[in-house]
Amino acid sequence: MSTQLKRKEELEGEVMAGSVAERVITVAVAGNPNSGKSTLINAIAGTRLHVGNWAGVTVEKKEALFDFGGRKIRLVDLPGTYSLSPYSQEEIVARDYLVHQRPDLIVNVVDATNLERNLYLTVQIMELGIPVVMALNIYDEAQAKGYRIDDKGIEQMLGIAVVPTSATKRSGLDELLETVLRVADAPNQRVPKKLNYGEDIEVAAEYLAKSFRTSHPALLERYPQRWLLLKLMEQDSRVMDELNLQNLDFLDPALHHLRRAHGEDIESIMADARYSLASGLTREVLHKPELRQTELTEKIDKIVLNRFLGIPIFMAAMWLLFKFTFDLSAPFGAWLGAMTEGPFKRWASALLTPLGAPDWTVSLVNDGVIAGVGSVIVFVPVIFAMMFFITFLEGSGYMARAAFVMDRTMHAIGLHGKSFIPMLLGFGCNVPGIYATRTLENPKDKVLTALLVPLMSCGARLPVYVVFVSAFFPNNSSTVIWSLYVMGILLAVLMGLIFKKTLFRGEAPMFIMELPPYRMPSMHSLCVHTWEKGKHFLYKAGTYIFAVSVLVWFLLNLPWGVEHKRDSYLGQAGAVVAPVFQPIGFGTWEAASSLISGVIAKEIVVGTMGEIYAPKKDEKKEVPTLQEDLKEIGVSFGAACSKAVKTLLYLPVPEEKEEDRSSLKLALQGVFTPLSSYAFMVFVLLYMPCVVAIAAMRQEFGTWKWAVVGLGYQTALAWCAALIVYQGGRLLGLGG
Amino acid sequence: MNLAKLKPGQQGKITSIGSIGPLKRRLMDMGVLVGENVKVLKVAPLGDPIEVSIKSYNLSLRKKEAEGIAVEVAG
Repeated sequence: MSTQLKRKEELEGEVMAGSVAERVITVAVAGNPNSGKSTLINAIAGTRLHVGNWAGVTVEKKEALFDFGGRKIRLVDLPGTYSLSPYSQEEIVARDYLVHQRPDLIVNVVDATNLERNLYLTVQIMELGIPVVMALNIYDEAQAKGYRIDDKGIEQMLGIAVVPTSATKRSGLDELLETVLRVADAPNQRVPKKLNYGEDIEVAAEYLAKSFRTSHPALLERYPQRWLLLKLMEQDSRVMDELNLQNLDFLDPALHHLRRAHGEDIESIMADARYSLASGLTREVLHKPELRQTELTEKIDKIVLNRFLGIPIFMAAMWLLFKFTFDLSAPFGAWLGAMTEGPFKRWASALLTPLGAPDWTVSLVNDGVIAGVGSVIVFVPVIFAMMFFITFLEGSGYMARAAFVMDRTMHAIGLHGKSFIPMLLGFGCNVPGIYATRTLENPKDKVLTALLVPLMSCGARLPVYVVFVSAFFPNNSSTVIWSLYVMGILLAVLMGLIFKKTLFRGEAPMFIMELPPYRMPSMHSLCVHTWEKGKHFLYKAGTYIFAVSVLVWFLLNLPWGVEHKRDSYLGQAGAVVAPVFQPIGFGTWEAASSLISGVIAKEIVVGTMGEIYAPKKDEKKEVPTLQEDLKEIGVSFGAACSKAVKTLLYLPVPEEKEEDRSSLKLALQGVFTPLSSYAFMVFVLLYMPCVVAIAAMRQEFGTWKWAVVGLGYQTALAWCAALIVYQGGRLLGLGG
Repeated sequence: MNLAKLKPGQQGKITSIGSIGPLKRRLMDMGVLVGENVKVLKVAPLGDPIEVSIKSYNLSLRKKEAEGIAVEVAG
C-alpha cells in the first residue's frame, strides 16, 4: 500500500471518528428495585445527573449527559421495575420509553445475589430486540457469599454482553462503559437472542406472525416484532388499545391450541414461560456453596422484626430519624435565616441608599426579595437532612421493614405501611413530610398521604398556639396544645376514610413488597442523591415561594406610605374577607389579614398580628460595620455547629431570649374570647398549607391538581371545624 | 389450605392462585407461580402482613393477598 493511500485512509478514519464522536449514544438503564441501579448511576454520573419527573406522572426521571472515551453518552434512568407489565405507573413509563423512544442500548442492572428474579426482567427486556449490556451488579457480595457465576455462560446463552460490577465499590464501571461503547458501535453483532418460550407458545406466535404480516405490515415495521407478537398473545390491554387491535379475528384461532393445552389464562402461561427461562438459566450459570451460612440479614431481622422488640425498635428508629432530621438541621436553618435577616439586609441598604434609591425600593429589596430568598433557604438544611436520612433508610433496607411493622395500623385507615414516615416528619415540618412520600410506590398511596400530611401540626404552628394559649389558657396550656395535635391526627383519619370513598375509589392498592437484604449504602451515592434533591428544591419550589413572598410584600406595603396597616392592600383584603370569619368567631380585618399573610408560613400569623395589634416603635440600633457582620456570620456558624452537636448529645443548650409578646397578649385579650381564640387556633391548624408545602406538592406530583385539592379541602375543613367549635361552644354556654 | 394460614417455619408448594387482574399479575411478576415452593418466615408484630421466602428472596404481603394463594403443605 502506498503511503499516500494509507494517509488517505487515516484521514477518512479521522473524519469517520469525528462524526461518530459527535453522535450521542442514548443508553437506558433498567433494572429491579434494590438492584443497586441508583448507586450505579450515581457512581457513573455523579453531579452531572439531572433529576426531574417523567411527563405527567409522579415517577422520578434521572438523566445525565457526559463524555466517556471521547464519546458522548446520554444515560436515561428508567424507574426500577420487576417486570414490564402494563399495571404500575413505573412499568408503563419504562416500557413506553423503551418502545417509543428506542434507545441505542439498554444497560440492564442485575442483582447478582438474586439472579433468578432479576433475569425475569432481563428476558422481557430482550423481547424488545434492542442491544443489551448486563451489569451484573453487587458482584462483590455474591462472591463473598461463595456464589460462582459464569458470566461468559450468560453472554453465550442470551447473546448479550455481561460485565460484573460493584457499584458501591465503584468497580467495573469503566469496563461497563467501554462495553457500552463497543456494543453501540457494532449493534448488529450483539442482537439479543430470540429465546424459546416453549413449543406451544412458539407455534402460536408463528401462526400469529403470518396473519399479522398480511394484515398489519406497517406495525411490524414500527414496533419490535417479537415484543408485539408476545403482547398480542398476552392480550396486553395497553398495546391493544394504543394500536387499535381489539378485534383481530385471527387472534382466537392462534391461541386456541395454547388455551386447550394450558388453560384460559394466557398471562399466566407467559409469566411461567419467562420464569422457566430465568430459572433454567440460573441453574446453568449459578453455583451456590453447598453449606448455606445464616445470613446477616436473617440475624438482624430476628431482632428487628421480633414480635415483642419489633415495635419498640421501630419507635426508636423513628425517634432517631425525627431527631436527626430536625434537631440537626434547625441551628443551621436559624443561622441562614439570621444571615438574610441581618447582614444581607444591612448590606443591601448600604448599597442602595447611597445610590439614591427611594425608600420603597430599599424596602422591596429587603422585605420582599431578600426576605423571600430567606424563606426559601431556611428550608435547605431540613430538606437536605431529611433526604439524606430517608435515602439512608431506603438504601439500608430498613424502610421496607418499617413499612412491614407499621402496615397493619396504617392499613386500618386506608394507608400503606410506608405512609407512616411522611406523616411523622409532618409534625416537624410538612414540607419534608410531603417530599418523603416519594418512598411510596403506588401513586394513589402517595397522593393520599401527601394530602393528609399537612393535617399534622407542624413546628411553625406552635408559636401561634403559644401566644394564644398564654393569653387565654395560662393554666392548662399543654392540654389545649395537645388537643390541637390530636385533632389534626383524628381529622387525618377521617379525611383518609372520606378520600378513600370518593377521590380514590376503586381497588385497594396492594402490599406486595420485597424485603431486600440489609446493605450499607454508599456514602457517595447518598450525598449525590441528597445534593440533587436539595438543588431541585431550591430551583423549583424556591421560585414559587419567592414569588409569593414578593407578592405579600406588595400587599403589605402598598399603596406606599400608608400610615395604618388597615389601609394597605393586605388590610383591605383582610377587611373584604373578614365577614367570612364572622360565624367562626373572629370576623375582624386584623385576624383576616394575619391569616392571609400566614400562607407564607404559619408562624408569620403571629408576626403580622404583632405588627397590627402592637406595633413596635422604630428603634435606632447601632449598625454594625461590614467587618463586624462578617465576623458575626462566622461566629454564629460556629455556634450553630456546636448547638447541633450539643442537641444530638443532649448537652444543655442555652435558652434563647424569647421575644417579648406581652403587649400583643394584652391586645389579643381585648379582641378574642377564650372560645374564639380556640376556634382561631383550630383554623390555623387546618387551613390551607403554607406556600412551601403547596410548592412541594406541585413539584412532587408534576401538576397543580393535588396542590389545589389540598388547598381547597383544608380551607373548607378548617372553616367547618372552627364553626363547630365556636357555635357549638356558644350553644354549650361557653361564652361568645 | 392457603398461604395466610401457614405458620412461620412451615412451607408448601403453590397449587393455584385465585387472585385476578393486577394483583395476580403482580404476584406472578414477583415469582409467585403455581408449582413454586414457598416458606413463611415471619408474621409482623401486629399480626399482618407476613413475610415469605420464594425464589430465594424475601417477599412480604398482606394476609388478605395471601388468602388467594392455595398451597399444599409439605411434610
